[in-house]
Amino acid sequence: MLKSTYGIGAVLALGVLTGAAFAQDKPVAGEVKEGSLKGKTLTFVSYGGIYQDGQVAALKEFVDKSGVKLLNDGPTEIAKLQAQVESGNVTWDVVDTDDLPPYVYCGKLFQKLDLTKLDVSKIPEGQVGECSVPAMNYGVVLMYNKEKYKNNAPKSWADFFDTEKFPGVRGIDGSGSPAGGLLEQAFKYAGGDPKAMTVADIDKAIDVIRKLGPDTIFWKTGAESQQLAESGEADMLMMWTGRAMTAVKNGAKYAPAWQDWLVVMDQMTIPVGVKDTDAAYALLNAYLGKNAQEILTEKTSYTPINSEAQPKVDASVAAFLTNTPERQKQGYKQNFKFWVPNFAVAQEKWSALMAGN
Amino acid sequence: MSALDPTTPSVPQRAGWAWRPYALTLPALLLLVAVIGYPLLTIVLRSLSEPQWGPQNYVWFFGAPVNLTVLQRTFTISAWVTVVCVLCAYPYAYLMTAVGPRARLVLVLCVLIPFWVSGVVRTLSWVILLQDSGVINSLLRSAGFDGVRLIRTQTGVVIGMAQVLLPFMILPLYSVMKGIDLRLVQAARSLGARPSRAFFTVYLPLSLPGVYAGAIIVFILALGFYITPALLGGPRSTMLSTLVQTQVLSLLQWGRGGAMGVVLLVTTFVLLALAAPVMRSRHREAGRR
Repeated sequence: MLKSTYGIGAVLALGVLTGAAFAQDKPVAGEVKEGSLKGKTLTFVSYGGIYQDGQVAALKEFVDKSGVKLLNDGPTEIAKLQAQVESGNVTWDVVDTDDLPPYVYCGKLFQKLDLTKLDVSKIPEGQVGECSVPAMNYGVVLMYNKEKYKNNAPKSWADFFDTEKFPGVRGIDGSGSPAGGLLEQAFKYAGGDPKAMTVADIDKAIDVIRKLGPDTIFWKTGAESQQLAESGEADMLMMWTGRAMTAVKNGAKYAPAWQDWLVVMDQMTIPVGVKDTDAAYALLNAYLGKNAQEILTEKTSYTPINSEAQPKVDASVAAFLTNTPERQKQGYKQNFKFWVPNFAVAQEKWSALMAGN
Repeated sequence: MSALDPTTPSVPQRAGWAWRPYALTLPALLLLVAVIGYPLLTIVLRSLSEPQWGPQNYVWFFGAPVNLTVLQRTFTISAWVTVVCVLCAYPYAYLMTAVGPRARLVLVLCVLIPFWVSGVVRTLSWVILLQDSGVINSLLRSAGFDGVRLIRTQTGVVIGMAQVLLPFMILPLYSVMKGIDLRLVQAARSLGARPSRAFFTVYLPLSLPGVYAGAIIVFILALGFYITPALLGGPRSTMLSTLVQTQVLSLLQWGRGGAMGVVLLVTTFVLLALAAPVMRSRHREAGRR
């Protein structure tokens, strides 16, 4: 009953009001029709903190212009989304996730995106997935204690894994899922070729990390990694660029080794079974705009995913942005094709490592 | 007729009253069924039905060495926490019964104020105290000792958890201890018992119900701890709750997560059932004396 009323409403709206615009005009990133979503509500889900605040600020123009009511929820938990999809009551309209979930659960939890409804022309190459567009870019970077490694600074992940040449405590992201990029670097250190990695090689990669020894710290939150740098507890740290920047800003005597920094992106998705798919597309399209992305970067220091965006940031933030030509050359992209089907196996083995086995 | 009248109405009235205590427990009962019983049933069913009907999730649990290591570790850590809590709480609760009302108020507040502070905040405070560059290690170093590794060790986890759980030990102990008639101890002393003898044969047995009550609460709460071991511990102090979280939240293996919960619950029941006769016999002994 409700659905059919809705259908009639949508048909009327299409036919009478904005039919031409929706049917023929190509969407332009960042633009939305004045008043087109009046009376509608969208729930946007992300990870909270300054990140989600920045995203909401980036979407303010969209909200004001379209007349939509934007609700915020979070943090993103795939299990919660699965519960919503299973029970047929999806209240999350647009969801920000980490790298892999939209690939692992594409078509099951996340809708396959209709790219005629989005303007993806300004997104950096290779970042649009079947079920996702990027939400922002950042990196996982090797940070080292400048005082500890004065004349002998580590330059790459190989140095990170080499405890003989570079003695000291290592800090690794233990906040949840394994970082595919780190495992690939570890496998490379063990003498393998990451491009030809097999499931059995995951053990070899994890062994490299296990051999770092019992002093190794697996940090649980970004805040913890920052705190480890600021207090000098770890000598080499695998860190998110945003946290690395803040730690350095707060006086941590750490420097980045950018070679093979791991490229990471958050993803924007539309769950299966949302009540108003077109409204969700409109939000995504607005989010991808130049203006929105500039605001996002200025508020959060994360790298924008619109290649025309020219955010105004100070030097300390600029030093950790990852979209400069130099950084783009140094970046290392994980082998998505390998990790997507092997996500569960990798997670299983990684949690065993995390549990001290 | 008139002679019977005053008694006949009183009988049905009493029968009517008899079910009222049960009626009064109805809200609590409904709440328990709704928020414990039903979800628990769902967990058990899911653990047996996902991805298909069968014992697969339990086979998986007992087939993976890491699960068994962590299960055992969960019980070991909880047992240590309980022991530390008993040792810290016993003298404290005794002191509470021995001092005047004003000092008692101060002691009670010392227990309750941290109790009102969120466990996460207290755990993070422990991070600041225990970390390698933290307060404890700085003091040790400035006193000329070597630093000790406390954070990311089981010792650190036990210290943090014991502090968080201490009120659950002190309060039941205190409520039992304040009911103990101290003249019994005086009587023992006047009959020639040394203070230690008077304590071990008279006071301690009388206080045991409080020890048991507190120990059971602390032990069971400790089994399900999540945040404190996650923040204060390292891989070698991971507890079962963390593994459940991984299965449920990142792998979406709700069946396996459920199986882990059921195993923890059943193991706890078995251990308590084994401990119950010991506790009961001690009670009786204490009563006889």
